Amino acid sequence: MPASSATVLLLLRRFAARHARLAPRQTALLAGILALGVAVFVSIRLANRAAVASFTHFTDTLTGQSDWLIQAPAGTLPESVLPELRTALAGQAVLIFPVVESTAARPPGPDDTAAFGRATFTLLGVDLISLTNLARQQTGGDSIFTQRTAGAAQTGRAPDPNADFWRSFRSGPRVWVGADLARDLGDRAVLDLVIDDTRHTIPVAGTIPSAKDAPQAPANLLLFDLPHLQQLTGRLGRLDRVEFILEPGPQLEARRAQLEQTLSALGQNGTRWLVSSPGAKRETADTMTRAFRLNLTVLSLIALLVGLYLIFQALDGAVVRRRGEIAILRSLGVEERAIRRAWLAEAAVLGLVGGALGVLLGWAGAQFSVRAVGQTVNALYYATTVASATPGLGEVFIGLGLGLGASLVAGWWPARAAAATPPAQVLVRHAAAAPGQVLFRHAGLGLACVALGLVCAWLPPLRFAGGGGFPLGGYTAALLWIFGGGILCSFLLPPLAALGRGLALRFATARIALSHLAQPSGRHRLAVAALLCAIAMTAGMAILVASFERTVQGWVARTLHADLYISSNGAQNASTQNRVSPATWRALADHPATDVAAILAALPIELAGTSTVLSGADLALVRTRADLPWVEAPADAAIYDADRNAGLVLASESFTERFRKKRGDTVVLPTPSGPKTLVLAGIFADYGNERGSLLIDRRHYVAWFADDYAANVSLYLKPGTDAAALRAELLAQYPGLAIYTHAALRTEILRIFRQTFSITYALEVIGVAVAVIGLALTLVSVLLDRRDELTTLRALGFTHREIAGATALEGTALALCAAAGGLVLSLGLGWLLIYVINKQSFGWTLGFALPFGQLAALAAAVVATGAVVSYTVGRWGARLPADREE
Amino acid sequence: MKPRPFRRMRSSLRFLLVSLAAVLSLPPVRAAQPAAPPPPFTADGFAVPQPGYRFQFPRDHGSHPDFKIEWWYLTGHLYAAAPAPGAPPRRFGFQATFFRQAGPRGGEDANPNFASSHLFLAHMALVDVQTGKFIHQERLNREGWDAAAATSTLDVRNGDWSLRLADPADASLQPTLLLRGSVHADAVFALTLKPAKPLVVFGENSVSRKGADPTAASYYLTFSRLLADGELVLQHEEKTETLRVTGEAWMDHEISSSQLSAGQVGWDWLSVQFTDGRELMLYRLRLRDGTADPASSLTWVDAAGLPRKQPFTWEVVARWTSPRTGATYPSRIRVSTTDPADGKPVEFFAEPLAAAQELPGTLGGVPYWEGACRIVASDGRILGSGYLELTGYAKELKL
Repeated sequence: MPASSATVLLLLRRFAARHARLAPRQTALLAGILALGVAVFVSIRLANRAAVASFTHFTDTLTGQSDWLIQAPAGTLPESVLPELRTALAGQAVLIFPVVESTAARPPGPDDTAAFGRATFTLLGVDLISLTNLARQQTGGDSIFTQRTAGAAQTGRAPDPNADFWRSFRSGPRVWVGADLARDLGDRAVLDLVIDDTRHTIPVAGTIPSAKDAPQAPANLLLFDLPHLQQLTGRLGRLDRVEFILEPGPQLEARRAQLEQTLSALGQNGTRWLVSSPGAKRETADTMTRAFRLNLTVLSLIALLVGLYLIFQALDGAVVRRRGEIAILRSLGVEERAIRRAWLAEAAVLGLVGGALGVLLGWAGAQFSVRAVGQTVNALYYATTVASATPGLGEVFIGLGLGLGASLVAGWWPARAAAATPPAQVLVRHAAAAPGQVLFRHAGLGLACVALGLVCAWLPPLRFAGGGGFPLGGYTAALLWIFGGGILCSFLLPPLAALGRGLALRFATARIALSHLAQPSGRHRLAVAALLCAIAMTAGMAILVASFERTVQGWVARTLHADLYISSNGAQNASTQNRVSPATWRALADHPATDVAAILAALPIELAGTSTVLSGADLALVRTRADLPWVEAPADAAIYDADRNAGLVLASESFTERFRKKRGDTVVLPTPSGPKTLVLAGIFADYGNERGSLLIDRRHYVAWFADDYAANVSLYLKPGTDAAALRAELLAQYPGLAIYTHAALRTEILRIFRQTFSITYALEVIGVAVAVIGLALTLVSVLLDRRDELTTLRALGFTHREIAGATALEGTALALCAAAGGLVLSLGLGWLLIYVINKQSFGWTLGFALPFGQLAALAAAVVATGAVVSYTVGRWGARLPADREE
Repeated sequence: MKPRPFRRMRSSLRFLLVSLAAVLSLPPVRAAQPAAPPPPFTADGFAVPQPGYRFQFPRDHGSHPDFKIEWWYLTGHLYAAAPAPGAPPRRFGFQATFFRQAGPRGGEDANPNFASSHLFLAHMALVDVQTGKFIHQERLNREGWDAAAATSTLDVRNGDWSLRLADPADASLQPTLLLRGSVHADAVFALTLKPAKPLVVFGENSVSRKGADPTAASYYLTFSRLLADGELVLQHEEKTETLRVTGEAWMDHEISSSQLSAGQVGWDWLSVQFTDGRELMLYRLRLRDGTADPASSLTWVDAAGLPRKQPFTWEVVARWTSPRTGATYPSRIRVSTTDPADGKPVEFFAEPLAAAQELPGTLGGVPYWEGACRIVASDGRILGSGYLELTGYAKELKL
């Protein structure tokens, strides 16, 4: 219909564009709100993507992508597999790259107070000589061996390449560093590192060369010649994995398949080793964090959800303000449909502008959220290296789409209202249609939503391959409750108004303000719903965090009884592998002040294609020294007796959730000494690890894995020993160890814990801010709507201040109502978050705790901000001329 | 760029090869020999070949880790059945080289599976004479799980390439050898090599001297004619060919510890297996002014395996320019010399069986041409097969 389209365009140009010009701030605010909502989503999406992308298969830097790699299902592979593989693969034209990988940290400087969170490095040990056989290494830029060396730098002699080459291999460990670190080190030709429990000063041999089309070496990558890293990590003769790269040439796919077949056959169904590809490894990282990332994404949509209310209100307000002009258009014969389309088109333009701004803002925000998300991923899953994120075309489309979608959804009702405006002849201002009339006046709908939400809350989670669940039902329930709560909450307004009027009969301004609430308009109801949404979610999250924190505190109090906790100073987060050597922990255990030393061994393992953790501890000590926080305590005391517990295993609650196991089930544990079938004897709570963990007696652990290293050591001291003094003494003796007293460890655990929630708080604060802006917008439309009334009030002698006061009271009442409703709803949301969403996502059972102070502060802050904002709007409204555009 | 030490090593090895060859083909000149016996060790602690050394086999086919440098160098011609009746048999040239170089004495190895006391460089090349397709591969490994050379018998390995005795305990001068090689994913070959003549020990009193320096000497062992029999698998994108091949090969095994320096810019080397059962080897050291070093020489090996030097002239008849390196190599050479059997002058041409047999020398750093040739008389008669090595044409060799 060209005529109609032309009309729509004309309307847009003549009216919508003029409004945007005349009220630039209003338009900017609307676009800004949309942009904020979109930005939060986009930044979280970027951060999530970056966190996954930063899962680095470090070897790629050197070799490009390997075709296959093999890894022991638990522990390391012996070097004896190499000749065996070479024989089996003779004539298959494949390069074999054994790899040793570990982690290390910079030693704490004298000023470092934070015990954790120091820079960690991934140490990669490969055979630097055989690396030259790679075609890509032969065509690449710099070589590993033609670089400055520590020796030459120190002696100042002209470097002799031949001597340097041999020195790289024959005079102790050397390290090659990334370009950035090399720049930082400058002339300093050595690098200080804590590897396991020892401090090392390692000569820097040069910069890691990057092959032409290989990814740039990550900043935290340190390269060693393989035997040197084995030496440094006490793993002589052991390999973490072996990678395979096919020589280029014909029949690549067939050879690739043949190679996998050979490797799988030798791997004996995964009992000797597992065959995978670097791509699959990245996928594992992806699935590992999928639940976490989805949860964050859902949270990031809160601001947009609240924003939706606001766009709705703002567009609706615009309809109200421009009713006069719409009425004139109508009387001029412009069709309803054209008016509706013009409004929708205006909303769409707003949405696109807001979306575009949101993408930019989200990109900026991502530079911060990336770090926050990265920290959490670091703490819970694996080492991430990312420091920034760049939006791709996908983000741009998603941002624009979100902005457009939100503005169209929110603009639908106002557009209808605009189209329904009667022609000028019959326009009566008081008959202004209130938005959401139907929707928000039905208590029945609200109750139905709450009831439906209750049903959804009991739905099981969506399960992902590789463990982890997504609580779709839980989130649906939350959404329904928020919507239903929004509807129901507005029914609080009339009784609140009645109550207020009873108290404030003497004040005319108060009576005027409250009279509007006795029969709240759809606009009032919407404002309450939007605020309630933000408050309920924020308070709900506060309840979750408080419950979590109390639970963790209880867990810490229950499990940590020792006087000193000792680990490698290189152990910085969930993904570091630094351990305490047998010699060191034995010395600690034999220290005269030590009463009992509890040794914990830990090993990342792979069960049924899913990664988890195996721990070994002296289970007899569990009974006598540190009780485990049981979810289901063992029925039989055999588990505490190393002579009888060889066939038993304990599992963390997260493990049972991820692997769908219950007490009495069997777990087949792959070990270098063959698979062991173990009966799950009990389930304990472990909030330090979302991947779940298994616990066996250390005696069997050592026997099966031939691994005598300790992940950490807990020392129970003899009575009368000064723990702090002993700590100082041990630190002096073992500079590579991190030693915590009981109190310090407890503080540290809680600090890390809070850090992981920092990003969720930020998201909530944005939601509340958006809601308060919404309150202001509501009042603006309400006042514009009542322009006649304001004129009358002024004529009656009300001062500007009194009118502002009335508006402030009205706004405060709305905020109060939303705060009250929001707090009640937050109890429900808190319950949902703790018992449904958290449990289904992470498998942690938490106790319920109410952070009264925090909730009260939130309510007070919202009400107070509401009052101030309303007063400001009231001042503005009081000065509104009787009849003028905008 | 590539690690320079490897380039150096490679250069040194090639230079040594030529230098040794130059020395051994000279008539015994006692005056050039130092009166004093050589020292047992070089200044950097490596063993020095001793006159009167009594070779013991199979031990001396194996590695001599006390010496700094050692190589096992095979070249040869292979023939497979004709692909169709009436068509000529398929023909291939191959090169299979295993080098060992010891690192400086002293130092320590953290792990014998990844040792750094010796480096092993290896080179495989194959040319399909019908198609002219030339493929090659270099491999460098440290001593350890993936590269090693036994000291008790011939058993050299680099990745899945290997050269060993069929019977590790074979003490004869004509033991059967087994060679396994490949070139990337394109070709895999396994050959059984049976010496047609006894092992030749070059030099005087077990030692071939290289100059006045008492340490400048080597042990030099050669099988000048090996009968090859085995399997060659050629992999193409659309099919895999498995060919039964037979032919003839040449193998040098040299052991030394000396490092030389000289002013040559390159060298030419040619080995010939004549159809009459004799062999010939020549090398020509080129000086910067374009002339040949007087040490250049030509040696006949008679049917019994005895070497005999003859004067020769070398004339480049045609040239070929490598599209890859831009180097221009001789592509047809006229050699004139004297037949020691009858003392008459003899002339033959060395003609590459394929022009493009240049090795880019990625790991070694020295591009050179090494390829299969046919040896023809002036009248066009085929006299035999050869292998030609041309170095220093892409750039001057800095030794």
